[in-house]
Amino acid sequence: MVLFLAAMALPVALDGYGLHILIIAYYYALLASSWCLLAGYAGQFSFAHAALAAVGAYTSALLVLNTDISPVFSIPIGSVAAAGVGFCIGFLCLRLQGPYLALFTIAFSEIFRIVLNAEYRYTGGNFGLNVPPLFSQESRILYYYTILGILILSLAIMHKIVKSRLGLFFRAVREDEEAAATLGVNVIKYKILAFVITSFFAGLAGGFYAHYVRILTPNIIQLPQMGLIIAMVVIGGIESLAGAVAGALILQLAAEYLRDYEELRWVFFGLLLVITLRFSQNGLIYPIYKRLTKKSEKDHAESD
Amino acid sequence: MTEYLLLQALNGLIIGLIYALMALGLTLIFSVLKIVNFAHGELYMLGAYFSYYLAKLFGFPPVLAVLSSMIIVFFIGVVIEVLFLRPVYTGAVERKDEYAILITFGLSIFLQNLALFVFGPWTRRSPSFMSGTTSVYSLSISNDRLFVSALAVVFMIATLVIIGRTFMGKGLRAVSQDREAAAIAGINPFKMNLLAFGAGSALAAAGGALIGPIFLIFPTMGAMPVIKSFVIIVLGGMGSIKGCIIASLILGEAESLGSVLFPDLTRGLAYKNAIGLLFLVVVLLVKPTGLFGEKHVRMK
Repeated sequence: MVLFLAAMALPVALDGYGLHILIIAYYYALLASSWCLLAGYAGQFSFAHAALAAVGAYTSALLVLNTDISPVFSIPIGSVAAAGVGFCIGFLCLRLQGPYLALFTIAFSEIFRIVLNAEYRYTGGNFGLNVPPLFSQESRILYYYTILGILILSLAIMHKIVKSRLGLFFRAVREDEEAAATLGVNVIKYKILAFVITSFFAGLAGGFYAHYVRILTPNIIQLPQMGLIIAMVVIGGIESLAGAVAGALILQLAAEYLRDYEELRWVFFGLLLVITLRFSQNGLIYPIYKRLTKKSEKDHAESD
Repeated sequence: MTEYLLLQALNGLIIGLIYALMALGLTLIFSVLKIVNFAHGELYMLGAYFSYYLAKLFGFPPVLAVLSSMIIVFFIGVVIEVLFLRPVYTGAVERKDEYAILITFGLSIFLQNLALFVFGPWTRRSPSFMSGTTSVYSLSISNDRLFVSALAVVFMIATLVIIGRTFMGKGLRAVSQDREAAAIAGINPFKMNLLAFGAGSALAAAGGALIGPIFLIFPTMGAMPVIKSFVIIVLGGMGSIKGCIIASLILGEAESLGSVLFPDLTRGLAYKNAIGLLFLVVVLLVKPTGLFGEKHVRMK
């Protein structure tokens, strides 16, 4: 609640550049939390998440450019398109697990990137595609509240999913597919559903991003982008939506704060990712948060 | 046109050999450790840089530089195995497959950016092995390319001999078939892990060091070849050495000839890299065991 109020009040205290950084951070938070749902909860380690964001982004951008509909409608259409592609990936990958799934999704992303590059007559290729803005006014505050709203709404939905039977089935599929199937869980359905739901949110993030940044290049699919999302989720805590969001915000802000160190900060983040994985598989932020809240509870108990 | 096609086919063969070297390393690692090493491209890159610096700064003869760089990367591989992959086999991590994917992927980010920081973003080129070109009829090809192909073949044969004919290789094969049974027979699986990961890394380094004089060296140079090696190990069948070598040659040829035969030349070049990826996708969907893979291999 405190965080929510702080997020609502922040624009008052920040200049345009600070707002821009936060908007991008929220974009990553949406990508990170939806990947966390897919990988952490449903156990599908897909590397196609950035590509799915690009599906949403390019669908929405090309729709607006070619049919003159408003971005307000094209962004949801883009998200649905991403969900559709997510359905296909989920369907095709039913038999694939572990490294096979990772390789398949990497190949999918790369093919998509190559197609976007090669078909430059439609997509602008590496020169980029100029995308019309979401709002006609040049106001960062409007974008800020929009993405904040999208993020909070999406998180609320994802939180609801995690806490529902659906979330339980996701975890059952993750832990042991065969066992889940014998207990009557429709593994096929829930695997595909996990891809569809999370791809929708990825497409939503991508669509917003396209109409905010207003220039799209195929580079948003590159593997380092996916690496950034994974680093955010892993450092935040792979089995916690809040952890993933915190990871995204902290990493993005740290990247800005440490801007002067250029490559060195990515060396540091890479190292942090590897060390986190090796020594603390629930992430860095989530356990710290847990410990802090536990401590404060204890303090309460003692003061009572 | 036929001449051009022939030249392209020859180039495809040479590139295929370099791919094969790298993919052989990946196969070796996969068959023993049951891990796909996503940091393989970075070991390839390190191999290229070490070889470059050994030749440039310390005046090593090119071939010696390649060999020394392989040895250095062998030990880097050993360190990576001990520090990061060992927990997979001691039961310290729960979701082994996913842990292995993420940790090697994380290492690749780390190493790539470390290289960017230490070596800088500039492109470099290693000193050539042998200058000049050789002409056969109307085809001319640089001596460097021929020399590199010959060395690649030598390294590959050496690897095959070590795996197939030595006691050490027997140990590797035993562990790749069944860890527990091998352990009961007195083979230390941890030692074989170290050996396989080190040797696999050294093979990646060999690929990078050999490509140095032909193409350019830069921190992200491993990104594309590593994806090619993924294509190869999937196409050939995960863990199959024979499949790996045949698939490399298929991929090399398919890329070189495919881009030429594509009707629209500029798009043909753009789609060159997509050919292999399409192979990967189709093979995974239709026959996940690839051309020569025996069965679906997964970590227990």
